Amino acid sequence: MHSLVIAWRHRELLWNLAGRDLKGRYKDSVLGLLWTILAPLFMAAIYIFFLRLLGGRGLQISLADIVIGVFAWQFTVQCVTSGLTAFTGNANLVKKVFFPRLLLPTSVVLSALVNFLLMLVVQLPLVAFLLWHSGGTMSLWTLALPVVILYHTFFNLLLALAVSAANVYFRDTQHLVGLGLSAWFFLSPVMYPLSFVHDLAARWPWVEQVYQLNPLTVIITAYRALQAGAPLVLTPAAIAGWLWPLAGAAVVFWVFNRAQRNFADHL
Amino acid sequence: MSAIEAHNLGKRYRKAGVGAPTLRDALKRAFLRKPMEDFWAVRGLTFKIEPGCTIGVIGANGSGKSSLLGLVAGTITPTEGTVRANGRISSLLELGAGFHPNLSGRENVFLNAAILGIAREDVRKRFDAIVEFAGLRDFIDMPVKHYSSGMYVRLAFAVAVEMKPDVLLVDEVLSVGDTAFQTKCLNRIMDFKRRGKTILLVSHALETVEQFCDEVMLINQGRLVQRGPPGEVIFNYLRTYLAHVGQLTVEEYGTREVEIRHVRLLDGAGQEAAKFTTGEPLHVEVTYHANRRIENPVFGFSLKTGNGTYLFGSNTQILNYRIAAIEGTGVMRLTINPLTLMAGRFLLSLSIHSWDHSVQYHRQEDLYPFLVKDDPDHHGVVQLSTKWELKPGP
Repeated sequence: MHSLVIAWRHRELLWNLAGRDLKGRYKDSVLGLLWTILAPLFMAAIYIFFLRLLGGRGLQISLADIVIGVFAWQFTVQCVTSGLTAFTGNANLVKKVFFPRLLLPTSVVLSALVNFLLMLVVQLPLVAFLLWHSGGTMSLWTLALPVVILYHTFFNLLLALAVSAANVYFRDTQHLVGLGLSAWFFLSPVMYPLSFVHDLAARWPWVEQVYQLNPLTVIITAYRALQAGAPLVLTPAAIAGWLWPLAGAAVVFWVFNRAQRNFADHL
Repeated sequence: MSAIEAHNLGKRYRKAGVGAPTLRDALKRAFLRKPMEDFWAVRGLTFKIEPGCTIGVIGANGSGKSSLLGLVAGTITPTEGTVRANGRISSLLELGAGFHPNLSGRENVFLNAAILGIAREDVRKRFDAIVEFAGLRDFIDMPVKHYSSGMYVRLAFAVAVEMKPDVLLVDEVLSVGDTAFQTKCLNRIMDFKRRGKTILLVSHALETVEQFCDEVMLINQGRLVQRGPPGEVIFNYLRTYLAHVGQLTVEEYGTREVEIRHVRLLDGAGQEAAKFTTGEPLHVEVTYHANRRIENPVFGFSLKTGNGTYLFGSNTQILNYRIAAIEGTGVMRLTINPLTLMAGRFLLSLSIHSWDHSVQYHRQEDLYPFLVKDDPDHHGVVQLSTKWELKPGP
């Protein structure tokens, strides 16, 4: 928690760094910030197209679920990938100027959050339309989204802190993380609903337990539940999935604080 | 309370960790238990710096000067010991760290200021002054990636000096930009000094160090060798370390058929010295060894100022001092009397070559530094013997 206090105290620098990240990212592209929205939209379209193509018409998937899943997944991916280079890409800065190291990965997450909020501006009407199209309506619970977003951001911050520090010490991290992300994509209900694992779970009940320990599973499921008005999954495993990152946070902050002391030596 | 206080400060680096770290290396070390090779960039430093002092840090490349600044700035964590700075520290270590190439100069000014901890409001108020100082009025809205390296550094410096630190760390930034800008930079740093700020200045520009600093610390191989008045320490540095580790333009070559074995610089009283006085004699005693009989050798010398300007050179040939032959060990004595050099740092070169200049037996370029002190009433590089005569008109 102390770390978050530090981050707050340096909020001016934090905004500047996040702004640098955002501005730098789209400075020279014609479509600029529009890419933030176009990229996940295209991805969602591609998944939908191929799921339909491969799974046939009989496949019971909700388009709204895929849009929600892909957009949330994009948020996490952006935090992790830009978190990887938060220090290694700013070696000069880290070596020469003293400021709380925490600010770099935090700024990266912040800029990804701004992106995600922009994505939501497009996502919400789109989901409303898709729900209406299939005869449903947007739930009023949508108003509770900020709580999930806050938790999701915090979770992403933990990831960014972990990978940014690990990558300073071992440059292998970026490759491992690349592999990890591809596996994680399929292990989380990004482009399929939670019910997809039910068949598997019928045979091995523990699979579903383990599956729900994945924080992204519960986060994405929560996004969907709130917008489509489905009940939240609140099995003991799912609750554990919500809680363990909060406990893990203490470890991440502690390790990060120890690791950051020698960043300058390894960059 | 001291401005900077270090106690038994040390920083160890792992030689194995110099390259990009990989998981494989870490595993290899863990399994093979291979002992790591260490070296200490800085070790056993204990010192106190009083507020308002300007302290120079000198030493050869790789002696640990920059590590020391990094430790004080807090970018490097000490392996052992402690270092504490009281008050706000700002460093002019690497200018423009944190500039984003795609952003305009204007955006980078604000970004850089935020990184350096300058309040946004202050920057806004001083923005015009910053741009003016950097001389970039017409280019401030251009992305900095299109800047020349000089423009880049000028802008960075202009932002950096807007800091209001109690302790200012300066590392070689004075070597940037053209002469006019360097003078502006020095003036800014002088401002800090006048306002009673503590300054830690790392530089190879020894004249600057001598001119600005109240005290100088000499670092060699990570250890504090000497601390004291600038002239004394700089001289010791030149004498002990610089000349013998191949810094500067020092070089030695020749066939070595005759070797310069030993050289002593003596003052008027015949005492070996390193500091001489204008108007008094300087003797150079060269002990040579000729490995075979050499006929008609020529002994020569030349003098340069500390920054390399050639001042004077002469040899036995020019003076018609014919040496028929030398063999074995002997001593050649050169006397400069009176020494007409003014205060400063000078470099002596010696050579022994053949009569027709075709063979250089042994030449030692800039190998012998020495200092001259003079009476403070005169200024310049050399003392000319002068006389005034007034013939009043009718």
